[in-house]
Amino acid sequence: MIDAQELTSREGIDVADPWGAIEACYAEGWTDGLPVVPPTEPLVCAMLAAGPWKADEVLLHEPVRGRSVTADKAAINAVMAGCLPAYFPVVGAALQAIGDASFMLHGPATSTGGAALMVIVNGPIRERLGLNAKTNLLGPGYRANATIGRSLRLVLLNCLDCRPGVLDKSTQGWPGKYSLCFAEDEASSPWGPLHVSRGFAAGQSTVTVFAAESGHNVLSHGTADPEQLLTCFADAMAGLGSLSPGRTVIVLAPEHAGHLHRAGWARGRTQQWLYDHAWRSLADLKRGGKVEPAFYTNPGLVDWLYRDAPRGRPTLGPNPADAGHVLDGDEAIRVHRGLDPDDILLTVGGGDAGGHSAFFPSWSRGRSVPFVTKEVPV
Amino acid sequence: MIRILDPTLRSPATPVALSRAPRPRRLAGATIGLLANGKSNGMALLEQVATRLRERHQIGDVVRVAKTNASAPVNESDTEALAARCVAVITAIGD
Repeated sequence: MIDAQELTSREGIDVADPWGAIEACYAEGWTDGLPVVPPTEPLVCAMLAAGPWKADEVLLHEPVRGRSVTADKAAINAVMAGCLPAYFPVVGAALQAIGDASFMLHGPATSTGGAALMVIVNGPIRERLGLNAKTNLLGPGYRANATIGRSLRLVLLNCLDCRPGVLDKSTQGWPGKYSLCFAEDEASSPWGPLHVSRGFAAGQSTVTVFAAESGHNVLSHGTADPEQLLTCFADAMAGLGSLSPGRTVIVLAPEHAGHLHRAGWARGRTQQWLYDHAWRSLADLKRGGKVEPAFYTNPGLVDWLYRDAPRGRPTLGPNPADAGHVLDGDEAIRVHRGLDPDDILLTVGGGDAGGHSAFFPSWSRGRSVPFVTKEVPV
Repeated sequence: MIRILDPTLRSPATPVALSRAPRPRRLAGATIGLLANGKSNGMALLEQVATRLRERHQIGDVVRVAKTNASAPVNESDTEALAARCVAVITAIGD
């Protein structure tokens, strides 16, 4: 058990009763708009005791603004989100994952793009916590899913000042920003668990995080043929609205995953096929105004636009003045979503009935941030 | 009474004391840093500012640093180079 004396700060507000406490949290601006569980010292200490971290241990350091989130602050926010103490190791691991230097949290936390923090949970802890991997896994109804994801958002709001209009400048945002956490349906995956494909042991539990824009339903009830089925996914991925050199998460419904399994399609083959077919011509991008003159002064974006050009990449660089004009040869230049097949993360989840999968584009019109996987401490 | 704990970092355990760098008295001949934050048009905006500063204040050399990613902090070697060479640094976001 953790003693309240160990907390880095015991500052707070004294209120008369639980209803007053809920309203006080609203008055202080400590909520995401929904009511929170009042974070009393006994609840916070019980939350902290369920993880391996000391109260003052930094779980997340955001270098742009120099903010460090200690375990006790994370525990306060997890209580407020409605977590049971048993969830705290997952919350802490997810905070470590979004705090990984490669994730560059400041961007997805503040950008006009309005990213949600997607958390995919793998390993034995899924069942221990009752994390939903089946029917409605992306929707409401399960405490662990709802509150673990919500904890991250409350930490961003309360500890990093990512409040709407303050540091969160999302043009629109989307409901996944309240919470977006689910377990992988490992038993329905044709390729074994996601975390094993990312170098972890099946007996370990992990979180994999992703800065996600809003998802797109991929409906296909009419075919079991892998190429016909994946054509629907590639088409969604190639939409001009979200086409970028960034990454992709596909949540395959068990029914769709089963079609690929029975046809013997491996994970790598599926990723490669999707990458090969999720493209638009450079001419299409230009017609949609998706090629900005400034792209041509950015070597990474020039590489993306021309890496698959039949005549190779321009040696002198294209002329920025041509960004808005379709030139001879632009129809033949394929611009893919992402830079290679590994930019497409395949996971499995959903009810056993229904041909409904989901495509999630990464935040940003640029390269965005990588997938990060961390082990959940036992 | 019920005590509810503050979930924010408003009361950091170890406050960091920062002071402002000395302000330059004049810009004539001064080396000025341009730090573009990584968005597409940040440097274009800064170049315009530098042009105006040359016209109005006759600034000297210009040191340009363009972050490769708007989400990342400026790296230490760039920070040190700007601090060592520049009298003042201007930064901009330009999307």
